[in-house]
Order: sequence, then structure tokens, then C-alpha cells
Amino acid sequence: MSDGIRVAALDDIPQGEGIAIDKAVTGTADDIALLRDTDDSVYALDDTCTHGDASLADGWVEDGYVECPLHSSKFCLKNGDVQGLPATRNACPHRVEVRDGEVYLFPGETP
Amino acid sequence: MTDRVVIVGGGIAGVSTAAALRAGGFEGDLSLVDAGEFPYDRPPLSKAFLAGTKDLGQIALQTSDWYDDQRVRLVNRAVVTALRPSDGAVELADGRLLPADRVVLATGGGAARPPIPGAGSDRVHVLRTADDADRLRPALFPGARLLVVGAGLIGAEVAATAVRLGCEVVLVDPVATPLAAPLGPELATWLHTLHTRHRVTTAQAAVESFTDRPDGIEARFTGDATPQLFDAVVLGVGMVPRTELAEQAGLEVDRGIVVDTRQVTSNPAVLAVGDPARTRHEGTLLPRTEHWEAAQHDGARAAATVLGTPPPAPTAPWFWTDRHGHHIEGVGSMADATRTVLRGSLDDPSFAVFGLRDERVVAAASVDDPSAVRAARRMIDRRVTVDAARLADPAVNLRTLLRG
Repeated sequence: MSDGIRVAALDDIPQGEGIAIDKAVTGTADDIALLRDTDDSVYALDDTCTHGDASLADGWVEDGYVECPLHSSKFCLKNGDVQGLPATRNACPHRVEVRDGEVYLFPGETP
Repeated sequence: MTDRVVIVGGGIAGVSTAAALRAGGFEGDLSLVDAGEFPYDRPPLSKAFLAGTKDLGQIALQTSDWYDDQRVRLVNRAVVTALRPSDGAVELADGRLLPADRVVLATGGGAARPPIPGAGSDRVHVLRTADDADRLRPALFPGARLLVVGAGLIGAEVAATAVRLGCEVVLVDPVATPLAAPLGPELATWLHTLHTRHRVTTAQAAVESFTDRPDGIEARFTGDATPQLFDAVVLGVGMVPRTELAEQAGLEVDRGIVVDTRQVTSNPAVLAVGDPARTRHEGTLLPRTEHWEAAQHDGARAAATVLGTPPPAPTAPWFWTDRHGHHIEGVGSMADATRTVLRGSLDDPSFAVFGLRDERVVAAASVDDPSAVRAARRMIDRRVTVDAARLADPAVNLRTLLRG
């Protein structure tokens, strides 16, 4: 259990949107999307849509889900579960903590 | 009480119906009959699958585990030859009977084959199935002369894929600006001229006849366009809904299988979803919709009808298309707009066009700006009034307008 990586300030992520954290920073196979929900909670999922070729950090974040910017497959922010075609596989979630307005990412840790 | 459901057809509408039934708690017997090995997604047939960068397994609509997990009996390589609602069964071509309390017709459609003389040539293709794409792919070699007839979504996507593979592509359509109705004239014009910028030759013409020659197929055009020789032709001129089973079963059919707003046909034991379904709303027959997401929504509504649960909330119709490296989306009904507002610059994608009527957004279309269309969809669904000047200003976050 690490202390996590400080990857962004909360204010860096607009409400209802996301930013991508480079895999060089996260040490994961894929970039990680930090997604700020409409209630200001922050979640992290592998950035590449499991249907391929799209960044979930560019998606529409609302009410507990992120919608892929290409074909609108929806993924649950909490656990990455896919909610609609064309994607058929869940997105991999990562644990996130927000402390004093700073966002800490725990790559590979289950939320 | 519905214990046994048979879904006829494994496109997006049929698979979505099955998924929505299980998601809604349906515990009965569920069969999905499909002509192919397994249900696959059709949008890639004109793009990645045609280009050969994705194979059939990579465009499967569901993983193979899904059918077991969801207890969906996939009756593959099978064709339904008759509905027998009064016997509580459907009949397969091999004589098997599948018991069914309710049948969901998700039969899709076939590519339209207009009666152009000579169109029966082996060099003339259509694109509706993976087999069609497999047959077309070898014709798209570098330097091949390809004629695409019809500059709608599929024709334009095939032209873009073919030119990327090195073909010399001519794209003809009788309309000067294809897709102007759904996308609005500004964006449709930009989109059609995009072909020219990517070395596709466009022409406003229709084909009068085809003639096989030793070294190709000759196309003669209406108007004064010179006849031209091609290696292959793709007809992308629309689809014909598959309604034969419904007709044989005596269901009401009127250029589509007529359904009510809950997807029920004139026989309460039979529902219809997707491309062939045509809704009668308050006594009026609406045009059929042929889009991918609309088929999904039909499936969700059909499942709710079978389950006796409230139907999902309606939402503005949405579609996408990809060509020449650009992602285009449209939502709502541009025909209902009395004015349009451009957000961004046509010289510098991304940009979006919003269709307004009485201070409300009724439609939008975008190039490489899908978030604008997602915002527009919510503006339409929630009927928010918007300030056109702020809508046009790319510096204004559309989410703030959504809050009204």
C-alpha cells in the first residue's frame, strides 16, 4: 500500500469532464482517465475505451457514468462496469483519493 | 405470462432486446436466432472490417461468454421460415420448431438493389453483411477504379475507406449536397467537399446503366457526364426492410412492420424492433429509423413491453459516421429547426452546428466535437432554453448552458 501519486489538483479537472494521466506517470499499461463526476467525486479508469480507439478522459461524465466520446458506451465510474454496447468489456478501475484539493492516484489498486 | 421468447435476428436490435430482457429481470427461456456464426456489429463493415484492420471476431456484438452468462440460447446458422403465433412457435428452415409465447422480429433489412440495367454484374457490390464486405475487400486494391453510387452514410464511408486503401474513387449522388436534411446545409456542404480534399472525385449524377467490358464495367450516367470504366461498383442507395415473415403471418405491413409505441405488431404475441419496424403514433405512421442507437432503444422498449415495466424515457435520435479521419455526429431533427448557429469555424474542425426553434435546441451536428452533441442531446431532452450567442461562443462551456 503506497501513499499514491499526486497527479493533479481537483481544480485541474472540470466538473463533468476528465483528464488523462500519462502511463509514464502511472506506470500502468494504459493511460489513466481521472473523471470528475457532477457531484465532484473523482474516479479513475483505464483511459482507452474497451471498444478501442477513444479516450474516456474526453468523455461525458454525469451521474456516476462516463460516456465514451465516440460511440457512447457507458461505464460505471465506481467499478468500470460497461452499461451499453458497442463495448462489451468492463474498464479497469483504480483507487483515487482527494486530500486538501489534491488528487492522489493508486494505480492498480481496486477502489 | 411470457415464459418463452424467441428473437428473430441477431443485429443490434435483436441482441439489445435480449440484453434488456435479462437486465430487466426476465427469467424465462430466451432464444436468439441468427443466420451467421454469431451476432456482429455492422458499423465497422464499411470501415475497419472492410479495411481488414479488424476481423469478424473483433466486431462480435457480445463475447462468447455473454450468451452463457445471460442464458441466451444462440440458435446460429439458422433461418426462421414461418411465425406460428397461434401455435406458440416459430419454424426454422430445417423443420425445427422453437416454442415461443412471444416473438420479437429483429429481421433488419437487405441492401436496396435499384433496377439499373446491368446491375447484376459480378463487379457490382452492395454492403450490408460481413459476407458482402469479404466479397468487396479484394476489389479495393491500390489503383483500382471504384465507383460508389450514393453518398449517404455507407457510400461515403466506403469511399473514404477505399481511397485510404489506394483506390481511385468516384462518388456519385443525384443530390448536390447529400445529408443536408439530417446535418444541416453548412455541415453537409463541408462534409461533402471533404471527399474532394481526400482525392475522391464527386459528381452530381445517377447511373443509367452498367455494361460489362473485358477490362471492367462501364457506367453510363444521367445528364452529360461521360461514360466511365471501373473495376468495381458499390451501390449504397439504402435498404429494404425485411418484412416477409410478418407478411406471411398476416401482420400489418406498410413499408415496414407496423408497431405501436411499445413495439407490438398487429398481433399481440409478436413484436418488431430495429430497421424494419415502423411506429404508428397517435394514428400516424412515422418514417422508419435505420440508425444503430434507435435499434438499441427499440430493443429496450420491446423488453419493457414483455416484462410489463415502464418503457425507458425517450431521447432525441442520435447517429455517428466516420470518414477521412473525422468523427461526425448528429442528434435531434434538423428539419424542425428554423435557424442554425455555428460554434467554431468551418475552416478549423472541430466545430458544431446547432438547430434552434423558439430559443430551444432541436438538433445539432458536429465534426470532431462529440461533447457538443452530447450537450445538445441533453438540451433537447430537457427542453432548456438557450442564448444563441453563448451557444455560438466556443469559450462558453456548454454545460453551463445546460443548467438553463
